[in-house]
Amino acid sequence: MTIRVDKHDVFLTNQNKLYFPADKISKGDVVAYYDSMYKWINPYIKDRPQSLRRNPDGILNEGFFQKDAPEGLPSYVKTVPIHSDSGNKDIDYIICNNKATLLYMNNLGCIEINPWFSNTRHLDKPDYFVIDIDPSPKNSFEEVIEAAKAVKEVLDRAKAESYCKTSRATGLHVYVPLGAKYTYDEAKDFSHLVAMMTQELLPDTCSLERSLSKRGNKIYLDYLQNRRGQTLACAYSLRPKQGASASAPLEWSEVKKGLHPSQFTVKTLPKRVEKMGDLFSGVLGKGIDIRKCLKNLGA
Amino acid sequence: MKPLWTGSIGFGLVNIPVKLYSAVQNSDLDLDMLDKKDHANIKFKRVNADTGKEVLWENIVRGYKINERYVVLTEKDFEDANAKKTKIIEIEDFVLEQEIDSTYYEMPYYLEPDKSGTKAYALFREALTKSKKVGVATFVLRNKEHLAILRAVNGVIVLNRIRFDEEVKDTGELKLPAKSEVKPRELQMALSLINQLTTKFDISKYKDTYAADLMKVIKAKAKGTKTVLPKMKVSHKAGDLMSQLKESLSRKKKKVS
Repeated sequence: MTIRVDKHDVFLTNQNKLYFPADKISKGDVVAYYDSMYKWINPYIKDRPQSLRRNPDGILNEGFFQKDAPEGLPSYVKTVPIHSDSGNKDIDYIICNNKATLLYMNNLGCIEINPWFSNTRHLDKPDYFVIDIDPSPKNSFEEVIEAAKAVKEVLDRAKAESYCKTSRATGLHVYVPLGAKYTYDEAKDFSHLVAMMTQELLPDTCSLERSLSKRGNKIYLDYLQNRRGQTLACAYSLRPKQGASASAPLEWSEVKKGLHPSQFTVKTLPKRVEKMGDLFSGVLGKGIDIRKCLKNLGA
Repeated sequence: MKPLWTGSIGFGLVNIPVKLYSAVQNSDLDLDMLDKKDHANIKFKRVNADTGKEVLWENIVRGYKINERYVVLTEKDFEDANAKKTKIIEIEDFVLEQEIDSTYYEMPYYLEPDKSGTKAYALFREALTKSKKVGVATFVLRNKEHLAILRAVNGVIVLNRIRFDEEVKDTGELKLPAKSEVKPRELQMALSLINQLTTKFDISKYKDTYAADLMKVIKAKAKGTKTVLPKMKVSHKAGDLMSQLKESLSRKKKKVS
């Protein structure tokens, strides 16, 4: 079927296919979600290269990542060629600057939206860095909350503003605006420092160990996503996991015992954002001064 | 609750296996000592009184001063002096509780029967209650022999440590008035006042409100004033990364300007 979106004809297929069988949520429901949420999600995907995480058979199938735009793109989809050192060739990344492109991506099987941390005006300078608080199956969500608060404590000492969102039903992301003033390396180093100081506050529950076996039953404070070409599910993105949870921006005052991230789903997040507004806009603000932050931390 | 000790009550030919628990808890607030300036925690160090240098635990020994010289004791010396470890609360006598002056009372503990001892425990408890007597016993806790009384209180057998006579100071040094100095009429008045104020003892009437009052003050302060965050400890590793990053950022700034 073809729908008309802002003067573009978007061709959609298999809209009745169940993407979340247990939750009875179809591909059409996913398209409808992003159609209604475009206004909110737009600032976080605009002008950013998109890694396509495709689940064309729904969430029960692993799916795959694809960076190069597929053949036969509709005319409303824009791309940007970016040189890949590893493949020694140019990759055509999709740039999602209109609703038609977002729905086109959904139709390719993108349940989750994965934009770069930097935009096309300055691909080498991220707009923010993220500490991804990623628990092991043995950690309670209370421990995840403690970890997020410890990250905030370190950032508060540095007098760096920070914003929290749910990642899916189990983890949290803490974003810090950088205003594209620093390179990826500088962003990574500072996020490494924040993660290290957080881990030192919570040595019993948190780890910076990449290897799963060495990490054991600890929460992974992942700062290594702050590299060129890496992506995380953006604010308001759905996650391809049972329950159809969505990445929900939070007020810091909500990050406390009793917070249940599984409550933010394809069904509930649209109502919440209408009521609360966009809690994440500061992430794209002017950004912190890392030198001042280091000074505040005692460097 | 974790038992402090397990063993048994020795009562004639019967042994009653029991676990010993502390019967008291602290109602004080746990306050930390801080530096007034930056709220860093205060740390204690053991230092050599002559050199002022810190001494590690493994280099610390204990000694007793005799004739201006120290006799240093080793682990073995302590072991030799320790009471022989027994696991028995050995009952020596039964007495009326009012015969024991309260000056002698020390820490109370609760005794709980082990599974195999519930019947004997119940019997002993009943017998104590009926006889209105308490058992005087000795037992060894943490290498030291202690004196105690066992009494039945509200369904539990309480072991109350009591002091040895050597532990209580003599009153001879206190200047106390003689009995004859009291006038009969004044005594009569004092007695009637006591009678007027006499009630049944009710412990719940008396509250230790200090901790609760202090907590109120703390909460009010936390709300009203901006709490000063203690300075963050920075490990060597974090410190190194910090100075590296600072260095590379200032190099960059110089290049630009």
